[in-house]
Amino acid sequence: MAVNLMINGKATEVDADPQTPLLWVLRDHLGMTGTKFGCGIAQCGACTVHIDGVATRSCQFPLEAAEGVKITTIEGLSPDSSHPLQKLWVEFNVPQCGYCQSGMLMAAAALLEEIPNPTDEDIDQYVSNICRCGTYTRVRAAIHKAADMMKA
Amino acid sequence: MKILRIIGIIIVVGIVLFVGLAFLLNQRPSSPFDGVAAVTAPQYPVEEASYVARLADCVACHSLPGEAPFAGGLPMGSPLGVMYATNITPDKATGIGNYTLADFDNAVRRGVAKDGHRLYPSMPYPSYSKMTDEDIKKLYDYFMFAVEPVAKPNQETGIPFPLNMRWPLAFWNVVFAPTKVYENKPEQSAEWNRGAYLVQGAGHCGSCHTERGLAIQEVALDESSDAYLSGALLDGWHASNLRGNQATGLGRWSEDDIVQLLKTGRNKHATVFGTMLEAFNNSTQFMTDEDLKSIAVYLKSLPPRGADPQWTYDDATKVAFAGNDMTAPGSSLYLTQCSNCHGRDGLGRGALQPPLAGNPTVIGQNAESIINILLNGAGRMVVDGVPDSYRMTPFRVLLRDDQIAEIATFIRSSWGNDAPAVTAAEVAKLREDTDPTSDHVIVLNMR
Ligand code: FES
Ligand code: FES
Repeated sequence: MAVNLMINGKATEVDADPQTPLLWVLRDHLGMTGTKFGCGIAQCGACTVHIDGVATRSCQFPLEAAEGVKITTIEGLSPDSSHPLQKLWVEFNVPQCGYCQSGMLMAAAALLEEIPNPTDEDIDQYVSNICRCGTYTRVRAAIHKAADMMKA
Repeated sequence: MKILRIIGIIIVVGIVLFVGLAFLLNQRPSSPFDGVAAVTAPQYPVEEASYVARLADCVACHSLPGEAPFAGGLPMGSPLGVMYATNITPDKATGIGNYTLADFDNAVRRGVAKDGHRLYPSMPYPSYSKMTDEDIKKLYDYFMFAVEPVAKPNQETGIPFPLNMRWPLAFWNVVFAPTKVYENKPEQSAEWNRGAYLVQGAGHCGSCHTERGLAIQEVALDESSDAYLSGALLDGWHASNLRGNQATGLGRWSEDDIVQLLKTGRNKHATVFGTMLEAFNNSTQFMTDEDLKSIAVYLKSLPPRGADPQWTYDDATKVAFAGNDMTAPGSSLYLTQCSNCHGRDGLGRGALQPPLAGNPTVIGQNAESIINILLNGAGRMVVDGVPDSYRMTPFRVLLRDDQIAEIATFIRSSWGNDAPAVTAAEVAKLREDTDPTSDHVIVLNMR
């Protein structure tokens, strides 16, 4: 079935079974491999994208529900890696192996949109992504710093 | 003198009762197929014959997962003890290979085996008794000529003496088991009648969806009572209300919604789960569109039972989430664990991830299904041989009893839902009952 998607501001048409998870569409049909596959059951967060601004795990998001919504992937977070979080990720050396990090970034970015000055508790709640390398403390520090920067 | 008279009367009544009883207990029911010539070759095309077996969903109970179909062995709980479904392959020694058409008919429609012993009503013969002679002939055809014989002896029930004596079932049958084939109601349409025939007969929907009385009989076998298909507890699940109730039944469903659920396992209101999964995987998805439509027509004709409150969507929960207001107990857990699939608006995602807002299972009085699916997730739904890619996650390891109770209570009271709270004790009980290593794990019950 042909489905019209709006990904990173660009209208894109995909021909796939309407039950296909969005993650598969992104990676396999459109070759956008920045978004990662971890668990496939909405538990780890590696596949996080924004659906109408809300951080959403794309591995459990059926294609048929993706028509008419605005999808943002890691490729579209900023045109040139200039999002404050991306800069701080470099500055703080947040990634270890890096596998979970595109999901982390997307979850963190959505959090800052919703709650510009998040507490530690907010971060725990909204960034429930799993990092097998244990980068959590650096993620947290970078989010707080980004909140400060973006306020200024 | 008077005393002698009374004693005399008692003796006479006693003898009459005794003779009547002996007659009743030893009587082999009569079948319209008594005396017909032995069937030595299939009488129907195999598709027609196997279709009836699909309608009756024999395979769900008479098979063990991963083993030869129809060879029996599935344990089923009862208040008396565990019993095991039997081998119904045409094996001559251990199965039903020696059954004549009349023997087969007596087992399926009367609950009496070839050797005269009474079957337990876990076998839904009170429903199957409504099946037509022709459908019974097709079913016989299927089991005799299309099913592979498997040599596998039946397992004795775990029911202790004297409760394992089967003769009292003869009385049960007299009181509770009808013996008449479904009769069309002339005032109803052909579609309605076909639906009623399928739902009450082969489909035996009431086995799960109608509550049972003290003698474990279904309290109603057709639409003449409003208890019929109004929902019932079994096996740690609550089989939902299939009547017209707006909030907790099928009141807001269209006929097409019902057809879609039975054909694809999902629609915009709900997905199949729990014991319905097996009915779907083995039976309903194989039904023809016309039969499914008939079922829908019949179900939609059942009026609501009891008070019939409306359900309307309330976006207060959605607004609270948007304003980062996490004061409602459970909202924070919902946000992290559930909202990805079911949405902050509780509306789910299309037909693949069901809404919680207004979902009859979520707002039903009884929370058994909700607790169970939160603990144990959904089983595997298989459509056209392909397992589904969207399945409810089990939270048994991830969340404590009080957390699951909090989530259950939250979803039962958000987005306009208005159902009683769930306690941690209820969750603890079901956790124990559905733990395979516990000493009182639920074994599958009546179907
Ligand atoms: S891959 Fe989607 S949450 Fe793990
Ligand atoms: S950086 Fe390795 S998984 Fe997170």
